Amino acid sequence: MIESNRITTYILHNKNHLSFWLRRLKTSHQIIAPVRDISGDIVLTGIRHMHEIALDGPALMPSPKEFLLPQMEQLFHYSDDGVEETFNKQPRIIFGIRSCDLSAIRILDIFYLENNKDAYYESRRTNTVMISIACNQPDPTCFCFGLSTGPFLRSGFDLQLTDLGNRFIVEAGTETGMALVREFLHIFTDPRPEDIEDLNEVRLASQSRFEKRVNLEQVHRGILAGEVSDTFWDSVAARCFECGGCVYNCPVCTCFNVIDQHFSPDSGKRIRIWDACMFKGFTRMAGDVVPAAKKIQRTKRWFHHKLVHWPTQFGTFGCVGCGRCAISCPGRIDMASVALRTKGTEHSEEKW
Amino acid sequence: MENGNNYLPFKTTLRSVKELRNDVKLFSIMVPGDFSYRPGQFVMVSVFGAGEIPISITSTPEICKDLEICVRTVGHVSAAVNSLRTGDTIWIRGPYGKPFSLKRETRDTLFVTGGIGIVPLRPLVNQMIDVHRQSEGKGTVTVIYGSRNPSEVLFMDEVASWMERGANIVMTVDTCDNEAWKGYTGLVTEHFGKAGVDYKNCTAYICGPHVMIQAAMRDLLLKGIPDNRIITTLEAHMKCGVGKCGHCYCGGKLICEEGPVFSLEEIEKYNIKPGVDSID
Repeated sequence: MIESNRITTYILHNKNHLSFWLRRLKTSHQIIAPVRDISGDIVLTGIRHMHEIALDGPALMPSPKEFLLPQMEQLFHYSDDGVEETFNKQPRIIFGIRSCDLSAIRILDIFYLENNKDAYYESRRTNTVMISIACNQPDPTCFCFGLSTGPFLRSGFDLQLTDLGNRFIVEAGTETGMALVREFLHIFTDPRPEDIEDLNEVRLASQSRFEKRVNLEQVHRGILAGEVSDTFWDSVAARCFECGGCVYNCPVCTCFNVIDQHFSPDSGKRIRIWDACMFKGFTRMAGDVVPAAKKIQRTKRWFHHKLVHWPTQFGTFGCVGCGRCAISCPGRIDMASVALRTKGTEHSEEKW
Repeated sequence: MENGNNYLPFKTTLRSVKELRNDVKLFSIMVPGDFSYRPGQFVMVSVFGAGEIPISITSTPEICKDLEICVRTVGHVSAAVNSLRTGDTIWIRGPYGKPFSLKRETRDTLFVTGGIGIVPLRPLVNQMIDVHRQSEGKGTVTVIYGSRNPSEVLFMDEVASWMERGANIVMTVDTCDNEAWKGYTGLVTEHFGKAGVDYKNCTAYICGPHVMIQAAMRDLLLKGIPDNRIITTLEAHMKCGVGKCGHCYCGGKLICEEGPVFSLEEIEKYNIKPGVDSID
């Protein structure tokens, strides 16, 4: 993704033109967008008709990660003749994701593309364009604002749309994004000063609506200073069901297992599937040695990874404030609550 | 191996398979000329259908044209590897991991090893014997090598060659059922006094059963070797070897990328203890 030096802004005056635009883009890309499924949940899926798109719902569950790192993915087919890799190169547009999820994808890019590049992720990623939509109304579980991962981004997007009620502001941040607009320039107009004023107003309003103010920097420092005790982590671990929901729904979690599936005595496929470090068997070695057998080890490890090791190694937290852990945890453990309870030394010894 | 896909192994053949013990086999694997590695590193070994596991490299690159690995049957993939025969196909990825450093910074070099732990240290012993010969100053290479009993000693002829090249060898067994055994009995930690090593000026490399590593580290610290000169190689469950699957993540470190070679100082500082924690 080549980032432009500046953001180019357009207005899409007629909201009906959004369908037109996406319908035309669908001739060259698969369109993945939020859709209300039969149970009323909003999920991201490939769409056939524009009217299926639902932009009025809460945070998507699960995260868009599944389109870049599928829950199950074939690495290669093997047989006596050799190995045959399988890469997905289909051009796609993921439309309607939020800034937090786009920020998460940028974190996944660092992890999968920098050191020891992951060829499978790269293949999907380079063929995927993201059209994100800024959040005007954060959910009660959201805390992206304190992490600079939302409710809108200043850069790092292909195209970012903001709904101004009767029109959209469309910002292009990369050459890829620009190309999608340029092809249909006749439906876009240049912004007027009042458009930018309205944009700023909508942004400020959104920022003021956050119910949670979470400071992960403070938690990071607290952990490094030894202010967060094992007593605290014990009380967190005691509530953990080891269901893996937090891991599977987190847009930044990346761990996977690799398995060979035989079709016949001499052929089969090697696949990878999502795995969760919260599971007791995650670290099991042959000989039945289980290093992280105790729950507190796994609870602590997950939080430390996101709060300490990610910022130390990559300069960014392993959390984007999407709030999915809060929504999915049956034990009511989540990043925001942990952060709020570890704020300051007088709280760290306090049990849940 | 540059094909851009880190998860894709290359196909090769077993030049020879030798049984060292009823559950341990030594494999000599043909590798292309540009396959280069250093002691301390490992390869991911695949038997398609069974799976893929990380195995330490045991060959010395200067001595051996082939890639040698030594596999003990512990689980179902190692059992599948150990059922292979000379001429069979095997699939390899690597080498991975941070190797041992070859810089000699102390007068003496000590190896403390037990059972199958000698496997990753074996090529380093060869290299350090050469390093000692080629560098100035006195000082010895000492190997304290423990096994369960005389019939389970691995690489006996190699040990003899080390002795011929000037290394000080101390062999010990837990129990002795063989009258011809000329070595000692007892744990390796009971024989530190026989090493003839200046502990204040020594680097120690340790590998073996977890309990042995812990005991040896503790005793060597007490004897005066600083924690940054006590080196070991850790093992962990690994699925990728390239820092992506997350299984070897421990103490904030990825054993496959920032290890498997670690000093005691690093282990204590970052609390990297895969496998060792299980004993409590």
